[in-house]
Amino acid sequence: MARVAYRVSHLSKTFPKQRRPANDDLSFEILEGEIFGLLGDNGAGKTTLVRQMVNLLRPDRGTIELFGRDVATHPGFVTMTVGYMPQRGSALNRLTVAEALYLTAHLRGLTRRQAAAERDELLELLRLTGIRNRSSERLSGGQRRLVQLAVAMAGRPPVLILDEPTNELDPANRRHVWDVLRDRNERHRTTIVLITHDAIEAEKVIERVGIMREGRFVALGRPADLKRAVSPRRHVELSFVPGKEPALPDGITPWRRTEDTWWLTVDHGQVPALLAALDFTTVTDIRLHSATLEDLYLHYVS
Amino acid sequence: MSPETSAQAGHAPAAERRPPSRRAQFADLLLIQLSNYRWSWRGMIVTGMAVPLVNMLALGLIGRPYGPEYLVHVLAGSIVVALLFQNQNNVAANFAYMRAMGTLDFFATLPVRRYLLILATVIAFFLLSVPSILVTLLAGVLVLGVPVQLHPLALLVLPLCAVPLAGIGALVGVFGRTPELVGSVTLLITIALLLLGPVVVPPSMLPDWVVHTGYASPASYAASAVRQVLFGPVTGRLWLDVGALAGLSCLTLWIAGRRVQWRER
Repeated sequence: MARVAYRVSHLSKTFPKQRRPANDDLSFEILEGEIFGLLGDNGAGKTTLVRQMVNLLRPDRGTIELFGRDVATHPGFVTMTVGYMPQRGSALNRLTVAEALYLTAHLRGLTRRQAAAERDELLELLRLTGIRNRSSERLSGGQRRLVQLAVAMAGRPPVLILDEPTNELDPANRRHVWDVLRDRNERHRTTIVLITHDAIEAEKVIERVGIMREGRFVALGRPADLKRAVSPRRHVELSFVPGKEPALPDGITPWRRTEDTWWLTVDHGQVPALLAALDFTTVTDIRLHSATLEDLYLHYVS
Repeated sequence: MSPETSAQAGHAPAAERRPPSRRAQFADLLLIQLSNYRWSWRGMIVTGMAVPLVNMLALGLIGRPYGPEYLVHVLAGSIVVALLFQNQNNVAANFAYMRAMGTLDFFATLPVRRYLLILATVIAFFLLSVPSILVTLLAGVLVLGVPVQLHPLALLVLPLCAVPLAGIGALVGVFGRTPELVGSVTLLITIALLLLGPVVVPPSMLPDWVVHTGYASPASYAASAVRQVLFGPVTGRLWLDVGALAGLSCLTLWIAGRRVQWRER
């Protein structure tokens, strides 16, 4: 059975001059080797939560344990165990990419030779070899984000906490980053905590998700379980020849219409009747999908 | 297939590794902070060399008739100007930048001690100020004809002069809300330190209240110490200067260490 990587108990944090707590009595666990996603609207308290998990911020109440050790009283253990990629900021951006990776790996306890090997591996893994001698200051936003991810991974910490790692990345790099993280998780059992707004793509890697609103979890569990609980229905997008509106079975009506497209929501059992009723000489396209992580997110935060 | 462990990959798992020694931490942090030459070299030329040179030439050439003691004050004061700009102002700017860019947070998530970070920053900027000091000194010797009587204690005293100024810079950088505010405040402090005390002008040419104010200024002690170890003679006053500079160094660095944004409450 997997060990508990993080155990958060009754965690609360209120910033000075704020009436509403940023985190309000949060309790949850993250297992070793798990990929845990944190979703929520802006200001929901996700970044405040992870800053406490990496010991950058002290909670007002409650405790956070990392592999059984209180993070507040074991700061050295936290720094040796967790690699953190913040939402903003660009640390070490006056160093070249290679220097930043090498020095971070060395500061995380690797020998100089190991740090050099780690640097080269990360450069290749995140496709940064071509910019290894450029300073981060001169990179594009997306390249800088990749460098920050590489810096968080340097020294191969067993826990990665990544605050919006795919922000500013193009679609190809976003996909590559999810692949890299999944691979890191599978090969090294790295525990990964992700904050992301990229819910559709994150769905491919996230094993458990917590959705936050106003400092509290409004949903916590496996995405599939949560989706089933929220919406057992299917969404259908029907495109047709303009003016040739399709006939629908009784009890099914579009909830949104344009000249050539209808959007419907149907029960799983209604799908065969719907498909049978459609005249595919006038229907040009049909898309059928169940709830996504994004639907789940929208359901809980809206 | 069982998960590949870090040990199989050639190094121990992170949580079982020992954090780097303090010496290794300091060496890495010093290297990181020395990389600041990539932006500070422009300042080194403009404020670290040009300002002290203009100051020295203007006051030195105009005041040449006042005699050699005056010229020694002008040259030593100009070296303090270089130290102020290259240490106090650059350290302040660097801390403000580190706060703004999240670098302090980054270091706080590494096995790094905050006092070593501050120490590495101060020493790095002192090393980066050495060319400015040498250029100012050389120009003073050549243009003003001031004879140098280098005392071995200069190797200790010159860095010691820089530390309290860098410490003030660290304090401003740690407390200032924005890099812009930090820039304005350090400029004001630089002007105040230069004008309120016998730094670039001999005390005999200043009103008494300015001379007395200088007793509270690290720039005055630095100027006095620089005069003695570079141009002689070294007197008992040097120990007062060294004591004051050491005390101010400890005080400013201690406060900066306590107040630096590092695992906030």
